[in-house]
Amino acid sequence: MYVRAEPEWIAPRSVEDAVALRAERGDEATVLAGGTFLGILMNQRFLAPQALLALGAIEELRRIEVAGDELRLGAMVTHRSVERSPVVRERWPMLARAFSLVASPRVRNQATVGGVLADADYASDPPAALAALDARAVLRSPRGERALPIDELILGHYETSIEPDELLVAVRVPPHPRRAAYRKFRSRSVEDRPCVTVAAARGASGLRVVVGAVAATPQEFRELCDGSPAEVGARYAERIEPIADARGSAAYRRRVIAAEVRRAVESLEDVG
Amino acid sequence: MDARVSGRARYAVDAERPGMLHAAFVRSPYPHARVTSIDASAVPRDCVVLLGEDVANLGPYGCQVKDQRVLADPARHIGDVVAGVAAASPGEAVAAAALVEVEYAELPAVFDPVDAMAPEAPRVHEAAARSADEAVSIGVRPIAGSNACHRFRIRHGDVARGFAAADVVVEQTFRAASAAHAPMEPHAALAEWEGSRLTLWTGTQTPFNTRADLAGMLSIPEESIRVIAPPMGGSFGAKTFVRLEALVACLARKARRPVKAVLDRADEFLTLNRHPAVVRVRIGARRDGALTAKEVDCWADTGAYADCGPGVATKMGYAGVGPYRIPDVRVDSLAVYTNLPPNGAFRGYGAMQSVWASERTMDILARELEISPLELRRRNLLRDGDEFATGEVMRDVHFEECLQAAADAVDYEADPRGKGLCVLLKGMQTPSRAAIAVERTPVGYVIRSASCEMGQGVRRSLQLLGAQMLGCEPGQIVVPDPDTDTSPFDTRTTSSRSTYMMGRALAEAVRDLRRGDGERGFGEIRNEGGLDPDTGQGVASTHWHQGAAAASVSVDEETGRIAVERLHAAVYAGRVVNRPGAELQNEGSMLMGLGAALFEGIDFADGQVTNANLSDYNLPAASDVPRLTHELLEREGAEVHGLGETAVPPVPAAIGNALASLDLDLTELPITAERVLAAVDARAARRAGLEARR
Repeated sequence: MYVRAEPEWIAPRSVEDAVALRAERGDEATVLAGGTFLGILMNQRFLAPQALLALGAIEELRRIEVAGDELRLGAMVTHRSVERSPVVRERWPMLARAFSLVASPRVRNQATVGGVLADADYASDPPAALAALDARAVLRSPRGERALPIDELILGHYETSIEPDELLVAVRVPPHPRRAAYRKFRSRSVEDRPCVTVAAARGASGLRVVVGAVAATPQEFRELCDGSPAEVGARYAERIEPIADARGSAAYRRRVIAAEVRRAVESLEDVG
Repeated sequence: MDARVSGRARYAVDAERPGMLHAAFVRSPYPHARVTSIDASAVPRDCVVLLGEDVANLGPYGCQVKDQRVLADPARHIGDVVAGVAAASPGEAVAAAALVEVEYAELPAVFDPVDAMAPEAPRVHEAAARSADEAVSIGVRPIAGSNACHRFRIRHGDVARGFAAADVVVEQTFRAASAAHAPMEPHAALAEWEGSRLTLWTGTQTPFNTRADLAGMLSIPEESIRVIAPPMGGSFGAKTFVRLEALVACLARKARRPVKAVLDRADEFLTLNRHPAVVRVRIGARRDGALTAKEVDCWADTGAYADCGPGVATKMGYAGVGPYRIPDVRVDSLAVYTNLPPNGAFRGYGAMQSVWASERTMDILARELEISPLELRRRNLLRDGDEFATGEVMRDVHFEECLQAAADAVDYEADPRGKGLCVLLKGMQTPSRAAIAVERTPVGYVIRSASCEMGQGVRRSLQLLGAQMLGCEPGQIVVPDPDTDTSPFDTRTTSSRSTYMMGRALAEAVRDLRRGDGERGFGEIRNEGGLDPDTGQGVASTHWHQGAAAASVSVDEETGRIAVERLHAAVYAGRVVNRPGAELQNEGSMLMGLGAALFEGIDFADGQVTNANLSDYNLPAASDVPRLTHELLEREGAEVHGLGETAVPPVPAAIGNALASLDLDLTELPITAERVLAAVDARAARRAGLEARR
């Protein structure tokens, strides 16, 4: 009997080839971006892919571009690149902040914008930040291209609306609101994944508050955003049904949500 | 450049032999289960499979209790190895191991050491196994018909009398979680047979103990086994006694080729961890603060196999007494089997768990007595000539200086709010033996010793000491890797004993060389003593590790997150041999203590580790490190004191006591934000209750 010890390695050099290979192989080949999440799953033998569709060699996917008012991050842009990009820091500072708080520089040098969204791991920083900024994920297939807001992209634990023939190629972010804040609450090490994250923004469409890492998907309730910061915090804490994990019980998370949402919203207020 | 920095250093993970195969293991998915059938017919023919029948005629092994077999049946924890495979590459071995079909019959399991002592608890081992002699420093005392593989007792004075004399008595139960050693280099071992002779290259702190235990298991003379111990990429107690060595030896014998095994990170969590423990302390004092009596009960969860649990429970027991003059003391400390992965030596060797309980209790007592925690300790600390609970008279005592230095570092006396202290005593392996050989070479000397290098710098210390004694440059001294064929006997590289014991043996060897032909010298040091396991009387340690720590913290009272702002340790060094090395030992110890205090705990669900990776299991990161300072107390002409572990145990209690100063009472390690928030709530409830009564 033949024993396959290593997965097949497929490494296209262009987006076109990658999209074609993705359509051809579907879910039989696992898409590999930075590997920081997939690596853990494979090392722990939760996942043993037959084939890996590795996007690392596609330069085009590593671009950070500004088109008009819009920021476009290629799927293979690393967290570290977002954090350090002068244009992101100047014009999308909340995004730079959120990415800068992920894990450690070593992880941020590897983890990618596309990877963190496609993994749909609840205990991540970027999804809530991107949701509060009204970002869209660009999915491409031989059938064409579509751009989904984060709440339509991430459907549940490790579950997205990406079709087996689609590849997440970029993230588009509209202009930054007048004020925005990102708070990451860690119950353990500074380099830990978040226990609770809050992305808050106040712009033309009013106050937006997205709470991450507390449920399968980022949690946003537009109807709860009227009122004082403490009221908004209390309402979010009451409405969300938090999960329990090693970073805190559901009851504990409720307490943290109330405090952290209040703090985030307070920080948006004009001084004086 | 240091070979560890340039990458030239070769560890056990780098060991290679021509034609070697790679091992992978078939592990039980059940916490307690009999193997009813194994079918390896799907494994490719060019792989070698090790099954129960291959090892049926081999003896049991285990460093303190002979309760382990090369392959487990029944499997006693999730991850227990029931079969082994060797293949041409690590990937093929893993794939082949997955093709071995095993059927199990589940047995009832137990996961908590207190539950495991209940009369109706499932028995992890049917009968008490034979005690091993080689690596035990105390008579092993299993409790028949129970899961206790050892109980240690101290009976000193009469606690009934002592508590009757007390004005205030406090009692509290504390818990400490299991933890991972998490060395950068995982366990790795390579075995090769030439005829009836076995050679092992293995990352180990215990080359001679490993040789003896394997010889017993294989029924061959110890001299037929050669253990070579390359430097380790960290160990912290993880690489002690037989771990992978028995498996690779048996696979290699069957394969007739060298076989190597390297664990991955997830498997590390199934191999050896720190003892989770429950420690109950009851202490009484007179109104003036004089301690009158103390009771300490420990349940050290040693997991599926005893390993060195008896030794850990013993040290946990007497370290829990603390460095105090207490007329009446009772200690009962159990090493208890459960169906968790085995727990073993971990930097601190059980002292951290009981020091956490004992020193937290001192602050609770201080609050009851309305005496400053610093003052309460001062009034009771052991001084030169005092008798410890083991009956031994203490000499070269420096607890008070250590404690004062720690207190001063955080300005404790000016304002103790948000600050906490801890002082500890920790023993060193007693009895033990260390031997060393010095040989002249054309350009300097070779020092042969079985002291193992694991990053603690023992090689450098021997070079520095040797250079001083021999009058040459450290660079003229070569210290080869420990090798049981050529290195003289050493008990093992544990319990912070190497610089102290090997250092003195080296002085003997140099004297011997001078007395003789100047070409070679041999030195041996023994420290005699030991405790009676039934009374705890005798000599616990010929040499005491003494230290103290202070912490200052702030608390986010809405989330329970604490910030450790300041951490200081003061450790009695006697005389420093290798200053940069000694400082790094202190810093490393404090960081490990910080992890134990705040983050580190292995989570289990029905015996399954649920955080067996370094993302879910948190170690302190660089940015978690507070303002961290320490000092090494020295005395002119004093003995060299071991430093490798002293600053680990006091850190959690110092942080816990800093919270206690804010009226936040924590009893469980790690001190998670959620536990702190619960303490904030409890304080509010207490205050509301007081208010209501007024």
